Amino acid sequence: MRDTFVKTLLEEAKNNPDIILMTGDLGYGVLEDFQKELPAQFINSGVNEQTMMGMAAGYASTGKRVFVYSIGNFPTLRCLEQIRNDVCLMNNPVVVVSVGAGYAYGSQGYTHHALEDIAVLRALPNMEVIVPADPAETRELTLAIIASSKPTYLRLGKSNEPAIHTAPPKVSFGTINEISAGSDGTLLFSGSVGVVAVAAAKELAAQGISVAVASMPFVSTIDVNYLRNALIKGPVIIIEEHSYRGGVGSAVLETANSLNLQGSIGLIAADQNNLSQIGDQNFLRAANGINVENIVKKFISLKVN
Amino acid sequence: MSKTTSAFTTAAELALAARHEIIAMTSAAKASHVASALSVVDILSVLYSGTAKITPENMNEPDRDIVILSKGHSASALYSVLALQQFFPKEWLAKYCDNDAPLGGHVTSKGVPGVELSTGSLGHGFPYGLGIAMSRKKSGGKGRVFVVMSDGECDEGTTWEAAMIANHHELDNLVVIIDRNKIQSLTFTEDTLKLEPFADKWSAFGWQVQTVPGHDYELLTKAISSQTGPSCIIADTTKGKGVGFMENSVLWHYKPPSADDVEKAYEQLRENY
Repeated sequence: MRDTFVKTLLEEAKNNPDIILMTGDLGYGVLEDFQKELPAQFINSGVNEQTMMGMAAGYASTGKRVFVYSIGNFPTLRCLEQIRNDVCLMNNPVVVVSVGAGYAYGSQGYTHHALEDIAVLRALPNMEVIVPADPAETRELTLAIIASSKPTYLRLGKSNEPAIHTAPPKVSFGTINEISAGSDGTLLFSGSVGVVAVAAAKELAAQGISVAVASMPFVSTIDVNYLRNALIKGPVIIIEEHSYRGGVGSAVLETANSLNLQGSIGLIAADQNNLSQIGDQNFLRAANGINVENIVKKFISLKVN
Repeated sequence: MSKTTSAFTTAAELALAARHEIIAMTSAAKASHVASALSVVDILSVLYSGTAKITPENMNEPDRDIVILSKGHSASALYSVLALQQFFPKEWLAKYCDNDAPLGGHVTSKGVPGVELSTGSLGHGFPYGLGIAMSRKKSGGKGRVFVVMSDGECDEGTTWEAAMIANHHELDNLVVIIDRNKIQSLTFTEDTLKLEPFADKWSAFGWQVQTVPGHDYELLTKAISSQTGPSCIIADTTKGKGVGFMENSVLWHYKPPSADDVEKAYEQLRENY
């Protein structure tokens, strides 16, 4: 996902000198081509996320679209107030880009797990939170972000994420992208955790239950029409690689509540029972409750009720 | 001082008029930080009376000089100077901190002509100004960036991060002016977190450093006009400058002037200027 992002950004930046890529000294093996080809549009700030984010905001105030790249919590939680005051309040066109969503850096430990970032960043006014599902969606979303000037948070996975979309996705701002149709309900996911949703849909199909699977990359601007129709059809399960507290599921619940949408919504998210647990992404997803078994169980219980 | 139809051309006249406004508006609003504003107002008056190339006429031009007041709690000084220089109507000052008024207790930029950045949380203005200066430097843009900071603000780590970055990128279009009044929120800076040897710290970070009397218009102007690299001007100031009973005291970091205080303060301004 990160390679697709940087490749897409580089292609666009070659024809658009207003695109700037800033990094907090991370991106080994990922950012070199950009740095080599467009040195005037590349800045390695050093290890100083707070100053880097304030600097990015000032830089963006001169009419540039500044992408600030780092790992997980570093360009988000570490410099939250700079994002709040200098980016969001001033409405500067900065794009915060984190790599390593959820448990992508699983074995590196809790400091490298990004599990509260969506909650925190989507609480900020003016901020558009975007979570791509796979490389193809990452490319389309990167292009959409370049075309926009809103403060944005792009939450990327890491590397070698499998394709979830079976056909090239057509992304337009705020829409939910359906991967496969189904008549009994919907599994709605944000991010590369969609592979678990796809597997759960197969398991439900084996039990004679037909569910749609859909990617919801836009967390701040929710596709209300899709959500309304999905809730009329049957239960909607939200699947995310993030804490239960304040994440994608919370965003959907808030929207459903404010529009008084009827229907059943279930959440599958990280329960964070053991913060110090080490393991790879698949292991930690499953160990924290983000697994096929729980999704199937949750769907069936809501369907019966 | 009674000038109302055209902008001030000398820092001395501008600063004296602004001192009257600062005292009046903090009193009317029952707002804190009058002494912080009196400390920094001479620096701002030097910048806005011609030293910085920023006027109501060019304030939207991309190559204008940028002034950022990072010590956002001395908002009344910036607002006064901008209003007197006709960036926005002077009547706004009387509504400082009022419900639905344009001018907030800390520096507010939205809808306030001439204000580049909303500030109030310390340590934000320098990195922001650094970003503007770097963008200009990398794209061959013109115009200098002035960041006015407090000395207590230098407790923030972003100050030293930004100082390293500006030096590394040789930003000779960036000027930091520090209002060195030696008092911060609870007590004196040197009793809180030692800044000295302050000038040496900036030198060690690769900055051109000048220490000047912070209420001397001529010397401030001279220091600002000489620049060979990232430039730090330590303006040796007195908190509450111009009003004896407010000078060099933590109390007036917080206390709003009463009507009686205003009269006494005006009397002192007549004596001192």
